[in-house]
Amino acid sequence: MTSQNLAPIKIDALVKDYGSLRAVDNVSFEMKPGEIFGLLGPNGAGKTTLISTIMTLEEPTSGSVQVFGHDVTKEPQITKTLTGFVPQELIHHGYFDVEEIMNFHSGYFGLRKNKERIDWLLQKLSLYEHRKKKVKALSGGMKRRLLIAKALVHDPKVLLLDEPTAGGDIELREQLWTFVEELKSQGLSILLTTHYIEEAEQLCARVGILQKGKLRRVGPTRELVKELTKREIGIRLKQEPTSDPTHPMFLRRVGSELIFETPSTMGAGDLLDQLNLDLKQVADLNIREGSLEDALRRVLGDKVATGGAV
Amino acid sequence: MNDALKHSTDLNVQLRPWDSFMALYQREMARFMKVIFQTVFTPLINSVLYLMIFGVSLGKSITLDHPVSYLAFLIPGLMMMGVLNNAFQNSSSSIISGKFSGDLEDLKVVPLTSTMILWAMSIAGLTRGLMVGLVTLFVGEAFSYVVDGQLIAIAQPLWLLLFLVIGGLMFSMLGVVVAFFARTMDQLSAVSSFVLVPLIYLGGVFFSMNGLHPFWRTVSRFNPVLYLINGVRYGLLGIADVNIWTASVVSVVFLGVFYILGLRALKVGDYQRW
Ligand SMILES: Nc1ncnc2c1ncn2[C@@H]1O[C@H](COP(=O)(O)OP(=O)(O)O)[C@@H](O)[C@H]1O
Ligand SMILES: [Mg+2]
Repeated sequence: MTSQNLAPIKIDALVKDYGSLRAVDNVSFEMKPGEIFGLLGPNGAGKTTLISTIMTLEEPTSGSVQVFGHDVTKEPQITKTLTGFVPQELIHHGYFDVEEIMNFHSGYFGLRKNKERIDWLLQKLSLYEHRKKKVKALSGGMKRRLLIAKALVHDPKVLLLDEPTAGGDIELREQLWTFVEELKSQGLSILLTTHYIEEAEQLCARVGILQKGKLRRVGPTRELVKELTKREIGIRLKQEPTSDPTHPMFLRRVGSELIFETPSTMGAGDLLDQLNLDLKQVADLNIREGSLEDALRRVLGDKVATGGAV
Repeated sequence: MNDALKHSTDLNVQLRPWDSFMALYQREMARFMKVIFQTVFTPLINSVLYLMIFGVSLGKSITLDHPVSYLAFLIPGLMMMGVLNNAFQNSSSSIISGKFSGDLEDLKVVPLTSTMILWAMSIAGLTRGLMVGLVTLFVGEAFSYVVDGQLIAIAQPLWLLLFLVIGGLMFSMLGVVVAFFARTMDQLSAVSSFVLVPLIYLGGVFFSMNGLHPFWRTVSRFNPVLYLINGVRYGLLGIADVNIWTASVVSVVFLGVFYILGLRALKVGDYQRW
């Protein structure tokens, strides 16, 4: 196996207990090189705990965590050099300004002369003009961007982003995701957790769904959505029908539009066939695919808050 | 885009432990250099006060069974006191402020080992301690010149340096231990005022152990600071209440103990924010 085929992150039967609370419960999954992988789940699901074990901030109760084939407890210096980490909580750094913090952080990785990259990162994340400011004087969004700049200062091979857009404004989110896509296109592997499910749906090739420490689902985002959600097909007829069809997938009628709920795998053509409808009668077709948010709600149950805040 | 800035997918890791260590040492130094004025000025005022009150005013009525003035006797004790306090301060405040701001976790997610962190913090604490020790020595020399009419010639420079270094490292490491295991700011200051201050004061900064009641003399023998202060006194003045070899062996043993405790603290201690 060449190094390029190694899983950036491989979690194997990971368990993490806090006293009697099992925060991570026998989780196994693997990231693929160069992908953006999303870890989703409600508050308290264990996302941060899982990421903390990758960074050795928490020790696994049992199970193992590997970064590009290196065990994080056995070769921590190597796994930490391969990883960039953006924590969920903001960090203040009482004494220092932005540039000093970047220089120290770079230095910890053995890169004490890294001005070119540091300047570039600060520019990319709109911090360059603030580089002489004390970190404590920065806004929340700027502090968040500084965390991201720090995480990338040593050109890591896998980036862990724990709720990177929490509390951030729209501008920050768009700028960040553009940058993340750019890094991804150059081959960086990325693991992220986010509250914004639409973000995950747009960005992540694959997602894992955590609930109460258990990995409920893991797979390609599109496939999960297909498997777990229904699609709505609306057929607008040229003439308002006199009665509703008796097809089992029929949902409701709005004026001249018949709305059906079908499995995601079923095409509109199949439905038209089954209905025995002549195409000449059809004025328009309207297809609404299920979303990742619908899929998540299916997996987690309806008690979960909606409106993106999952 | 510049090629150097492009993401590289090369998975070969090159560790540069020396540079990592130096980066942390420089941060620890930069932290107290930001407040260098207080760092040096406060102990300067303290030494002036101690020397004026004890050395000059009270000193006239105190006789020692050593052939030096009480003022001269005080100077090495004050030097060591400055070294120990500042070394402890530097490492413990670095860790505690890191727990407040959350940036202590940074040290856990970069390729710094516990050994590297301990040495970087200890040597930075020592550096600060030595600066304060030197300032105290200058103040002491000035007083000696004015009051006793002579400068003190350093009797044993190497012994002096050895004990200052051991003391500075030992108390920096102690600072790491205490700061890691402290659960609150109050716990840290409790350790300072109920453990450290008594150890330092009873370690013979102001008096010769020979003048003590035999009971207290025995108790004093368990105080590591006693050996450090007597070592420094031997280095500066050529006199001590304990044998210099005993003092150095005991000091090195204590240093070893604090080193192991420091490593332990960094390995199992809590890096999480308060
Ligand atoms: N240091 C800790 N001590 C005790 N319990 C913790 C600790 N950290 C997290 N937990 C608990 O573990 C569970 C998972 O938390 P967390 O990983 O932060 O979830 P998420 O990031 O998905 O919101 C929660 O029930 C949380 O209360
Ligand atoms: Mg979390």
